[in-house]
Amino acid sequence: MLKLPENITLKETHIPALEALRQKGKAAFSGLPSLKDEAFKYTPVQSVLTDEMFQTNPCCDNFDGCACTQKQLDFEAHRFFFCDGTLHEHFHPMQGMEVLPLSEALENHEASGHINKFDALKHPFTALNLSCLEQGLFLRIFQTPSNPIVLFYQAKQSGLKNIYNVILLEKGVSAEIVEIFEGQNEAYFTNVVNEIFVAKEASLKHYKLQNEALNAVHMAFNRVEVKSKGCYESCVFQKGGKLARHELDVCLLEENASAFLNAAYKIKGNTLADTTTNIAHLKPFTASDQLIKGVVDENARGVFQGKICVAQNAVQTKGYQLHKALLLSDGAGVDVKPELEIFADDVKCSHGATCGDLNKDELFYLKSRGICENKAREMLTDAFLKTVFEGISNPDIKNLFENF
Amino acid sequence: MTNKTILDIKNLYANAGDKEIIKGLNLIINEGEVHAIMGPNGGGKSTLANVLSGKGGYTPTSGSVFFKGKDLFSLNVEQRANEGLFLLMQYPIEIEGVAFITFLKHALNAKRTYEGQKEIDMPSFMRLVRDEADRLFISSDMLKRSINAGFSGGEKKKMETLQMKILQPTLAVLDEADSGLDIDALKVVSGGINSLRDGKRAFLIITHHQDLLDQIEPDFVHVFAGGRIVKSGDKNLALQLEAQGYADFIKGEKC
Repeated sequence: MLKLPENITLKETHIPALEALRQKGKAAFSGLPSLKDEAFKYTPVQSVLTDEMFQTNPCCDNFDGCACTQKQLDFEAHRFFFCDGTLHEHFHPMQGMEVLPLSEALENHEASGHINKFDALKHPFTALNLSCLEQGLFLRIFQTPSNPIVLFYQAKQSGLKNIYNVILLEKGVSAEIVEIFEGQNEAYFTNVVNEIFVAKEASLKHYKLQNEALNAVHMAFNRVEVKSKGCYESCVFQKGGKLARHELDVCLLEENASAFLNAAYKIKGNTLADTTTNIAHLKPFTASDQLIKGVVDENARGVFQGKICVAQNAVQTKGYQLHKALLLSDGAGVDVKPELEIFADDVKCSHGATCGDLNKDELFYLKSRGICENKAREMLTDAFLKTVFEGISNPDIKNLFENF
Repeated sequence: MTNKTILDIKNLYANAGDKEIIKGLNLIINEGEVHAIMGPNGGGKSTLANVLSGKGGYTPTSGSVFFKGKDLFSLNVEQRANEGLFLLMQYPIEIEGVAFITFLKHALNAKRTYEGQKEIDMPSFMRLVRDEADRLFISSDMLKRSINAGFSGGEKKKMETLQMKILQPTLAVLDEADSGLDIDALKVVSGGINSLRDGKRAFLIITHHQDLLDQIEPDFVHVFAGGRIVKSGDKNLALQLEAQGYADFIKGEKC
């Protein structure tokens, strides 16, 4: 079993709060999970994570010359760049937001009180992340921003990209955050933890486009807490990676809190894309709805694990979940594990899963109009995934998903 | 002067699934001709349309079909379409999530690419479609929607007709084009079809009613029963069928 890699060198050793979290992570990390661990039974992380992926390679220091920052968007946005796991710390002051590199936030007494508020140490990749803590963004939003916030993650070299972000939305604030992961063809390991708080009556729309290199490993653990009448809405599209997992752990802490989770994956080759969700309905009148759709071709594999927990007092809860997969070849497969743990009466919960091939009559119809097989298949798979993105209210962001 | 042959079916046998449906069909369609195939239900009319277009589950077992001099069965579904074979479907399906206008642009560009032409640009395409859609009383909203999503029978047939007008086929096979149409829609659809008659383009109209043939006058009418043509004639044959029914023509033919 892989022990904590020894060759990781970390900066900022003088910050006590940072060191304390590292020690906490180190103590909790007991090695990579195996297929015997229930949460990773379909996702063989041990066989894909190599020593090379745990090296730390220095990132470029030249902000203006860095190709990462040349990424263009068709719309106005507050942009942040992680180049090979390192945050480019050149922020323009932004109205209505407090923005700090994570290490600085940990030095700041008030901000540090918001960091690592949850007991995630049972989660092996979060423990690993804390043990290597250095890079990350602390974002406290106290006024609704006029533009979306975009976080670019670019990998150019092999090695570890270990990032811990903290995102706080204060009362009544609405914000859109887009994460974009891309990488060049190297063996690297992105391990991201996002710790997110949605305060009373606040609303966060959290978007993610994952197109990591095909021999990279991507682990993202998103821990979200939602207060009264707060709403967390997320839409994720995963395409890349050798093994990629998007994990979402949402706690609906107070009455009328809600979460809407949409996710799509479109994979081929030997890619494994894992979507794991865990929604805890802790109070009455909370609601969640999940729609996950996957298109799996060649020898790729999709994994969906979706858990809905309804606490004993959480009456009048609504929790829905639907997973649909298209398997485009004989070698393609999906593993689906829905779990409903309901301790309250008077709740409405459902889950469903379907899996199949493209509709032959639809395929014939398109081809009978001269459209070639490949194009017809592409049009139908895009149509299949499209419903996942339909609810995106910002047309610029919707466009990113539809043309991803 | 004889016109060029577009479709040449010789002694065709074909199965739908495992069942032999077409049993020794012969038919020649020349440039500019409109042929109507009429016959009782279950006679194999729709099977013929599906065999010609190359739909899965419909297999020719012997005989030959040449389309514009090419062996039709050596071409796949999309090649047949791009060569100019168009099947106007009896029950056009709905495809949720594929915008009609995007679909039609891909279809037209597939044909243009096949013919070695440049792809059409968006403004010219939109002008072309808008123009034809207006004549068929198709609204812009209908163009923007997913293929046939939530459309009535009549609307679906109008959309099929619009595709045919844009794709300009050499041979249009109309499978029960009149089913599900009220009188007004029938006029619009048949008007669209008639506007494509240019003395070169050929039509194979499959129907069991005279109604459509009142609107689109055929040059030849064939009675199709028991998997083959049992009687051929001119447009008067259709009127005779309308008056007398099929019984007299299909004596001794197994349906």
